[in-house]
Amino acid sequence: MQLEKFHYDNKIVKYFGYATAIWGLVGMTVGLWVAIQFYLPAVSLNFPGTTFGRLRPIHTNAVIFAFVGNCMFTGIYYSLQRLTKARMFNDKLSWIHFWGWQLIIVLAAVTLFFGFTTGKEYAELEWPIDILITLIWVVFGINMFGTILKRREKHLYVAIWFYIATWITVAMLHIVNSFELPFSWMKSYSWYAGVQDALVQWWYGHNAVAFFLTTPILGLMYYFMPKAANRPVYSYRLSIIHFWALIFIYIWAGPHHLLYTALPDWAQSLGMVFSVMLIAPSWGGMLNGLFTLRGAWDKVREEPVLKFFVVAVTCYGMSTFEGPMMSIKSVNAIAHFTDWIIGHVHIGGLGWNGFMAFGMLYYLVPKLWNTELHSKKLATNHFWLGTIGIIIYAIPMYWAGFAQADMWKTFTEEGQLKFTFLETVTNIVPMYITRSIGGLLYLTGAFMMVYNLVKTINKGSFIGDEEAEAAPLEKHASHGKEFWHSVIERKPVLMLVLSLVVVAIGGLIEIVPTFLVKSNIPTIASVKPYTPLELQGRDIYVREGCYVCHSQMVRPFRDEVVRYGEYSKAGEFVYDHPFQWGSKRTGPDLAREGGKNPDAWHFMHMWDPRQVQEKSIMPRYPWLFKNDINTAITPAKIRAMQTLGVPYAKGYDQIANDDLQKQAKMIAETLRKDDKVKQLAAVSEGVDLQNIENKEIVALISYLQRIGKDIKSAPKTETENK
Amino acid sequence: MKRYFSPTVLLKVFLPFVMLFTALAATAQDKAATAADTAPKTVWTNPVAITMLVIIVILLIVIAVLASVVTGTAKWQNMQLKNSGAIKTVIGVLFLLSPALASAQDAAAPAAETSSIAGLTSTTFYLLVSVIAIELLVVLLLGLFVMKFLSKQSIHTASVAAGTAGAAATTAPTLSWWERFNGFRPVEQESNIDLGHDYDGIRELDNKLPGWWLWGFYLTIFVGIIYFYRYEISHTGLSSKQQYELAVKEAEEAQKAYLEKAGNKVDENTVTLLTDAASISAGKANFEKTCATCHGVNAQGNIGPNLTDDYWIHSGGIKDVFKTIKYGWPDKGMQSWKDQYSPMQIQQLASYIKSLRGSNPAGAKEKQGELYKEDGVAPTTADTSATVTKDTTAVKK
Repeated sequence: MQLEKFHYDNKIVKYFGYATAIWGLVGMTVGLWVAIQFYLPAVSLNFPGTTFGRLRPIHTNAVIFAFVGNCMFTGIYYSLQRLTKARMFNDKLSWIHFWGWQLIIVLAAVTLFFGFTTGKEYAELEWPIDILITLIWVVFGINMFGTILKRREKHLYVAIWFYIATWITVAMLHIVNSFELPFSWMKSYSWYAGVQDALVQWWYGHNAVAFFLTTPILGLMYYFMPKAANRPVYSYRLSIIHFWALIFIYIWAGPHHLLYTALPDWAQSLGMVFSVMLIAPSWGGMLNGLFTLRGAWDKVREEPVLKFFVVAVTCYGMSTFEGPMMSIKSVNAIAHFTDWIIGHVHIGGLGWNGFMAFGMLYYLVPKLWNTELHSKKLATNHFWLGTIGIIIYAIPMYWAGFAQADMWKTFTEEGQLKFTFLETVTNIVPMYITRSIGGLLYLTGAFMMVYNLVKTINKGSFIGDEEAEAAPLEKHASHGKEFWHSVIERKPVLMLVLSLVVVAIGGLIEIVPTFLVKSNIPTIASVKPYTPLELQGRDIYVREGCYVCHSQMVRPFRDEVVRYGEYSKAGEFVYDHPFQWGSKRTGPDLAREGGKNPDAWHFMHMWDPRQVQEKSIMPRYPWLFKNDINTAITPAKIRAMQTLGVPYAKGYDQIANDDLQKQAKMIAETLRKDDKVKQLAAVSEGVDLQNIENKEIVALISYLQRIGKDIKSAPKTETENK
Repeated sequence: MKRYFSPTVLLKVFLPFVMLFTALAATAQDKAATAADTAPKTVWTNPVAITMLVIIVILLIVIAVLASVVTGTAKWQNMQLKNSGAIKTVIGVLFLLSPALASAQDAAAPAAETSSIAGLTSTTFYLLVSVIAIELLVVLLLGLFVMKFLSKQSIHTASVAAGTAGAAATTAPTLSWWERFNGFRPVEQESNIDLGHDYDGIRELDNKLPGWWLWGFYLTIFVGIIYFYRYEISHTGLSSKQQYELAVKEAEEAQKAYLEKAGNKVDENTVTLLTDAASISAGKANFEKTCATCHGVNAQGNIGPNLTDDYWIHSGGIKDVFKTIKYGWPDKGMQSWKDQYSPMQIQQLASYIKSLRGSNPAGAKEKQGELYKEDGVAPTTADTSATVTKDTTAVKK
């Protein structure tokens, strides 16, 4: 057999590697910044783009799609070529993929900074960027599949199975969740509303974790772990079983983000039981990783690369055990909406994704530059600093989660809530301080890595095109006893189709009935569409990312009903494009905020929360008092809502602004009458009471005063004591 | 695919226990669901019974682990589990017992008048004790098996070592519990299970799935099916809404009982002005915590009205103030505090507010509402003649 000579493309790997390191530093720095805002609200700089509501999506998008995304591509472009014994299918596509992805990241950062967001977590990017992502993802797919099809290795190695499943599932998730109706060149409304929007969103959100942060990184683990340890993979059949079980079961688990919400009970139960079933398939990956190191543990003591991998895989095991536990309804009742969740995701993010990326970079750079790592000692120090950072991050978050959940639920013996919401926040501020120290240590480690790698790069010489040779692929000749799975491994298209079928089942069974069966979302007659002013206010609420700290979902718990009001019903959200249930309560729930506080209270509170509540950690929103409501776009918004099925009268878009101004005037009048507001306007520059009806603050107040009011029963007159 | 464990053996060991446990759990849970209506005298509310059930479950787990070690070892040594007959017998007994146990428990509740031990009916108690005893017996048996295999294996490996007389044989592997637990094969024998794959130098082994992993997987699936059946098909589990209603009902009863016991039954009709220092300072603390936001730290008024003057929007008697705090005036921005504060606390708050009368704090807000005259007490401020600047109707709108 004549050996064919060819070259691996290392240059594209180098670029993705650079991008990984750079975006990693950026994303983590933003993370540290937002962490500090929890105890020093002034760090928001009272500037829209640097306020938590906008920075938090920048942080999550940067670490998920920029840092881990580029890490995934680095690893795939390196390992895929070597596992298929082929150069990437097309260099041009590689570069379109690279620069396209970086463009997406930059556009994401800029648009989020300026408040363009869909208001759906981890899918915040607006419709033009969604389209761009789809295109680039297709480019990546063609490039990957082209490489696989022209491979010189008959069977696909397990890492490639994971890459294929990742590609097809992310494509499916992204497209389905991004259905939205544009009403301007940068803004759109989610196609779905309320409960349905929530279900689709968390089907996406959960599986973004599964198929963007987990499966591709497992693929990387299957390549880099055995390579770095020079040990065989522990069990081929474990690979097979845990791969198929993982991708099949993962997709069902989305509703565990919506336990005890207005989502139909049956969907919640499905989400819960599939999450529990997910433990073993997830752990299959961890076991195959850790057991691969049997007989190589002496190497772990000396090799920082392996150290990173071991802790990464262990963290993976921890968070994939913790996740199912938190999906059990009774545990979720404690964990959800608290900082426990934040601790949990950072075990995964810092431990699993971060450490896998670091380990991979420490492995790759010396290989690509044909040299030794500048300093193993420095890398080991990075490892320890990072590990301690994770611990100092996670433990306070768990503590804060338990403490806050406990305080939320505590009643006095007389039967009253023992703590105000603010007390539960003030109590955990020390934990917020500690976790930011953990984050700082972790970030310092990342900087040490970059220094170490730069030093390594400087002393090495880069091999842009690495020579390789392999025999061409011959027509398949059966070699006797053959295992059924190896047939699939020979047929990448079959594998792609099977993966799609396996991941599509769970989503279909959960989502389709929720859309088609009417009884799943009982309608409530008193629920009416938002007025134009409220709609504008709602869009401001979305723009400022209020949902990242405030939920709009009262769960059927005694403490929540007492604290916030009647628990939320599915029919209340039918006009909510997008839904705004939120996933975290750094501030109190707002599902029943309407009518709770006077307009003046909101006015003062948005100007400076600390004037109203001294210990509040909410940022200030002074720009809402300066910006005019964009009334020019009202008709377009109304028309978009009509298209989505919101029953505004025909032709209402033309007169909507009249109603808007009427309502704004009424609120402005109440404000102008209030002594406290007058006092504030007298001493504060930027509060223009004269023109206040044109300002965004009035729209926001109108929305806040509306939330959850439609089904508020008439004030009860208690007579039992008479 | 090659057979990588002997399912029949494990199934025999495991299945009856699972059945027993679910039968137990199912009957007891059904009772727990109805317990809210009848007197809650079930195994679940009895600490002794709960302790015993926990012991049963822990022992079950121990048995499961030991069983997998035994079967794993047996497989490893390629020999038959000779004494499995004994296990079968034990299991058979348990198997037969499980429905009996379940029905006995059903019977146990009405037969409450029979003699009881530690708050349990004697039948239930003895049943639980015997289950624990049988489990202990099984653990003991399995332990003996393990010991036996261990000794046999050391003889076996020693003889192999003697036979081959190779250098490798002198380091004949003795497997730790961890290795046994995971079904590891010695690294030295790896070449036997190398599949001959080579992906960029990566080889793959054909190790079997760790038994505990596989059985854990089956267990989660089983639990998942049972859960979904109970909650979504048979509806014997409580839905979120039912859980909520039950919690509220229980809390209301507990609250009622407490308030009656504590003599805390104050309402707007019976409330009186408190003047003792302890009550006033308790009221002050809560005032500063909550009310100060709108009424100012010294009750001088902020978004809400001044509470230190003689002008009241909703009248200023102790009963009126109590009522205002309790129910609120939601239309005007005063919220109801009855869910945050107990009647006694509201009484303290109202009393504290009344104690501030005439304190003339700095930055006092202008008068709002109508002049209120306490029965027989003259207003403290001098300008009794002054008409109220703000019309009450103006404030109301």
